[in-house]
Amino acid sequence: MPALDWQGVLTGQPLQWILSGFLTTLWVTLAGALVASLLTLACLGLRLTGGRLGTAVVAAWVSLFRNTPLLVQLLFWYFAAWNGLPQAFRAVVMADHPWSVLPGNVWWFTPEFLCSAWGLGVFTSAFLTEEVTAGLRAVSSGQREAALAQGFSSWRLLRHILLPQGLANAWQPVVGQYLNLMKLSSLASGIGFAELTYQVRQIESYNAHALEAFSVGTALYLLTGIALGLLLTKLGPTPARRRKTNTELRSEEPC
Amino acid sequence: MFSGLFSSSAADAADFAHLAQASVTFCDVVKRYGDRPVLKGINLSVTPGEVVAILGPSGSGKSTLIRLINQLETLTSGEILIDGKPTRQLSRRALRQLRSRVGFVFQQFNLYSHLTARQNITLALEQVHGWPSAQAHTRADALLSQVGMADKAEQYPDTLSGGQQQRVAIARALASSPQIILFDEPTSALDPEMIGEVLLVMKALAHSGITMIVVTHEMQFAREIADRVVFIDGGQILEVAPPEQFFQHPSHPRARRFLQKVLNPLHQDAV
Repeated sequence: MPALDWQGVLTGQPLQWILSGFLTTLWVTLAGALVASLLTLACLGLRLTGGRLGTAVVAAWVSLFRNTPLLVQLLFWYFAAWNGLPQAFRAVVMADHPWSVLPGNVWWFTPEFLCSAWGLGVFTSAFLTEEVTAGLRAVSSGQREAALAQGFSSWRLLRHILLPQGLANAWQPVVGQYLNLMKLSSLASGIGFAELTYQVRQIESYNAHALEAFSVGTALYLLTGIALGLLLTKLGPTPARRRKTNTELRSEEPC
Repeated sequence: MFSGLFSSSAADAADFAHLAQASVTFCDVVKRYGDRPVLKGINLSVTPGEVVAILGPSGSGKSTLIRLINQLETLTSGEILIDGKPTRQLSRRALRQLRSRVGFVFQQFNLYSHLTARQNITLALEQVHGWPSAQAHTRADALLSQVGMADKAEQYPDTLSGGQQQRVAIARALASSPQIILFDEPTSALDPEMIGEVLLVMKALAHSGITMIVVTHEMQFAREIADRVVFIDGGQILEVAPPEQFFQHPSHPRARRFLQKVLNPLHQDAV
């Protein structure tokens, strides 16, 4: 087994690449998660209030993006859909904008970043929609009726009664989907997006430190996954059961 | 939003923000689930401030009858007038307005399980009626005292007993000061020793000006508090009478059999 040379990865140009790639992965994960969350909310709203047509549109959306490979989807957005956008818009995106630079010198207003975030968001929204729907179904229909009887509109019913409980019910699978999004961002290297995996491969072709470079890349994904998982679990809604035991301990009387 | 501007139909223009007369009138109301008829032509007028008890065996259609009033179920044919105005073809907005003026208490309480007792009451005040949160808070606490639950304001529904949950549910139904309140077997899911506390809250509410329609199996409530008893079986109203008359001299044979079974379950044959 050859001796490992960490210096060849953790100094100079390779280190620059790794840091830049890592930050890019973090930013595109954040943007993708935002897109996924908004699209999921839209799908849920449409499913709840859109009648038969709305339900059919959501079913088609889920079916299309859940049953095709993400890499194919990313290639489609980048090579096909992007070129279908108006020339004027594409020209604006291609131009340099000072406000496009995120901390860590990551440029977000570029075709690669936008297509990656959009593609990851769309893909993840298909899974999130079904998982949150399952969580919503676990909310008793009696509470739904109670809210309707009080004059809640469909949107407020979703926002204040169904979603807080549905998200709490489905939170662990939902966290899993956001973690998937982070890991699947590695596929965006396929459209030349300079995130962590892309940069790690670049080191390999630069000084042939493949084992070291991929080890560092793997460690960074692992650490990010653990940190993100802990953070989302902590930030997530408290399930009713856990909360109940707290109150019970205080109010329970010996019988 | 715009449908209101261009619509000329009286039903769409109906304003249920305040009811001049909290009356409910059923006109030839028919409800079918598929081919199965549940209500076969109901005619009934409930006057403002009246307390009406609806009695009848299980499956007689009595729950469906009150669920039609705030349209948790939709009519098959006929019409229900509230405040003298037809309610069958309301816009979504008008329906929400109507629902917010009609309180509904469920058999299974149906409290929002992710919210405390107080939040269960403030939520609709803030989100449907647009109250500022401080005012909603004060109103909720007043209602919770009214039903004897002031000390449980911070508790979640799953830490409350059935009777306590139902009292909170009644307070929630009263939050928007409705002029009509509907009870769908409010004590049927309760342990026997908890029925009293809920009935006492309902008794305090009766004859306070609010129109009450109560589907119940509590004969004592019907006898002591109701102004009128409506007996339903097989989707039809078989008898409408003041309670003393209904309980002492029921005129319909089906009502006599029902009372015999309910009041004297161990001696069903001795009529």
